[in-house]
Parts: sequence; C-alpha cells; structure tokens
Amino acid sequence: MADDLYSVLGVAKTAKTEDIAKSYRKLAKKLHPDLNPGDKAAEEKFKKITAAYGILGDEEKRGRYDRGEIDASGQETPQQRYYREYAGGAEGARYRSSAGFEDIGAFSDLFGDMFAERGGMRGGGRHFSMRGQDAQYRLDVAFLDAVNGTTTRLTLPDGGTLDVTIPPGVGDGQVLRLKGKGSPGLGEGGPGDALIEIHVRPHPVFKREGNDIVVELPITIDEAVLGSKVEVPTIGGRVSVTVPAGANTGQTLRLKGRGVKAKGGAGDQLVKLSVMLPDQIDEDLKSFAETWRSSHPYDPRRKLKEQA
Amino acid sequence: MLSERDLLTRVQRLTVTRLRVWVAQGWIKPADTQAPSYSEADLARATLICNLEDDLGFAEDDVPVLLNLIDQIHGLRAELKVLLAALDELPPDLRATVRMQITQTRGPGNR
Repeated sequence: MADDLYSVLGVAKTAKTEDIAKSYRKLAKKLHPDLNPGDKAAEEKFKKITAAYGILGDEEKRGRYDRGEIDASGQETPQQRYYREYAGGAEGARYRSSAGFEDIGAFSDLFGDMFAERGGMRGGGRHFSMRGQDAQYRLDVAFLDAVNGTTTRLTLPDGGTLDVTIPPGVGDGQVLRLKGKGSPGLGEGGPGDALIEIHVRPHPVFKREGNDIVVELPITIDEAVLGSKVEVPTIGGRVSVTVPAGANTGQTLRLKGRGVKAKGGAGDQLVKLSVMLPDQIDEDLKSFAETWRSSHPYDPRRKLKEQA
Repeated sequence: MLSERDLLTRVQRLTVTRLRVWVAQGWIKPADTQAPSYSEADLARATLICNLEDDLGFAEDDVPVLLNLIDQIHGLRAELKVLLAALDELPPDLRATVRMQITQTRGPGNR
C-alpha cells in the first residue's frame, strides 16, 4: 500500500480539507460494502479510500504524512464488521424485505409458492415503517363544473375509484390534495396523499379572468343606437341586461356578483359589447348611410392619427 | 445477546438518543423488545447507519430509503440463494435443461 494517498482520493496535494472530505464522500457512497453486497473489489477500494481519508482528513496526520513522518499505510483501523455479513444469515432475516417481488413472482408458480411460504414476510416491510408514496393524477374538468364546483369519480389505473369534490372556482393547473388516498405506507407509516392536477377545458362562450367571467355580446346597430334589453348567458343561467342607448363596440357592462364565487365574495361578469352589421346590407341601409355620411361627418380615427 | 449499554460502548458515535430514535423508526429491531437486547447483526446495522449519516453525509431523511433498498437487495439475494441451492440438488440432466432454458429465456440481447 505505497500508493500516494492524494491520488487514491483523486485530489490535488494542495486540496482544501473540505474538498478532500467531499471527494471521500463521493467515493465512499459508491464503494461502501453495504451498498455493494457481494462485491469484493468495491470493499478493497473502500478500505483504501477510508485509510487514505483517515490520514488526509485529519489536519495533524496529513501534516505528518506530507512531511514524510508516517507512510501511506501508517494507520490501521480496527476491522469493521459490515452489516452485509449478517444480512444473509438467520439474524438478518428479520430485516430482509420481499416488498415488490410480486411482479417477478406473479409469472411463475415456482416463485409464487416460494414467497407464499414466507407468509409473514409478504408485502415486505412489516419491520420497516415508511409513509406511502403520493399518487399523482390528472383530471379534465368542464369549464362550468370548475366554476360552479361538482363531485366527480376518478377511475384509477388499478381499477379502483376515487370520489373527488371539486371546489367552486378551482383554477386550471391547480392541484387538489386528498389526504391518505395515495399508496399505502409500510409498517406504521401512513398512506401517502393523492395529488390531483386539475385541467379546465375551455368554454366557447365564457372566458375566465381571475374571478371575473368575460363574455362577448354581439348587438345590432339599432340596439346600439336606441338601447334595448338583451339576454346574456352567465355561469348561473341567462339574465336580462339593459344595453344603454349609444352603446358602442368595446364598451363593457359589469354584472356585479355574477362571476366566480370565491372566498370573500364573488367576481363579476364583464359583458363586452360588439356592434354587428347585418349579414346582408340592404338598399335602405345603404341609402341611409349615404345621406347620413354627407350631413354628419365624424372621425373615429382622430386619436389614432394624433398618437401614431 | 448485547444490552443497550454494550451496543453503545461498541459502536463509536452512537448515543442513547440516536439509538432510541432508530428503534422507534423501525430501522433497528431489538432481538428482544421487552428488555431491549441486540444481536451482532443489530450492532452491524447500527454501525451502518452511523456510516451513512456521519461518514457518507446522507441526510436523516435518506436513511429509510437506503435501508429499504438494502433490505430489498438482501431479500432478493436470499431468495436467489435458496433457488440456486434448490437447483444444485437436481440431477445433472435436469440441471442441464434448466441451464439451457435460462440461456434461452435470457435471449441474445438480454444478458
């Protein structure tokens, strides 16, 4: 063992103590005999790096080694009995786990019987506690169901079902957590949670902006000029809305409290007016526009010209 | 069998608090829980946990994950040994058949 200790750990002679420790840990994680049961070569290397670290990791010993006062084999640590030496024996049986063998054994009568005989060990970590994993699901929800809330049943990949209560106003991408509905835990560890990511399908009419609902409402020229009462869809059903005389495209009417119900009050519905010409321009409208134009000129693009 | 005190003196860096937490977590299972007594295997396992936390720099949260994997590997190795021992007892012609079948099952791209 006349190896240069610095090269054993893969560090420079000038390396700082913490870099030596870092390098040792990195190697040790790879080579620790209990992380490599049955690998003799890993054990030999692990002994080497541990011995090297025993000297280089200690400021005083490192100084003596650098000055040549002790050589690379300078120190012999007492033999450690690794856990792996017991793990295979009768004593280790208490800890051995057959969790997760089912997928292998399921294909073979041979294995199936073999594991069944072990009875108590089936399912593994009776002697080992760990909280179950969280299960992740994705749930598509119709726009109105997301806004108004609903309950729905999720069919799980394993054939089971999960009843999910969707709270009113749930947003796209929001994750609902159902406590204890994930994978079962091991031993005394409780089950994990079910995490359900909500995807809200878009609606052809309603758009959501925060807790407000935005709807575009087409109106006729005469409704715009003279004003009128018009039916508008809301997330709670149709309501009648007064369009004021002289209403224009881009103008917004606010229906208080007709938006998404949220904690601390509901949002509003915003009705964006849009004046629509009829599909066919008839002679009446044409001749009216011609006479009206000559006597009532106006310039809707004045601001545009001033600003750009 | 070792008493709790024996264990504490023989495993450097092991403290009563640490040991009791590990037992409560199920990482160490005293051979006898009434008047906790430990086996050499428990001692080696306690040393391993010290190694993982103190020398290799794993966080306490990582330890159950590692122990779980290590326990699974030893479970698998034990079953594999049983299987191989059983196969060793078979008459030579049967063993040859098994060997052939294994080679076949493995397939060319699957060794």
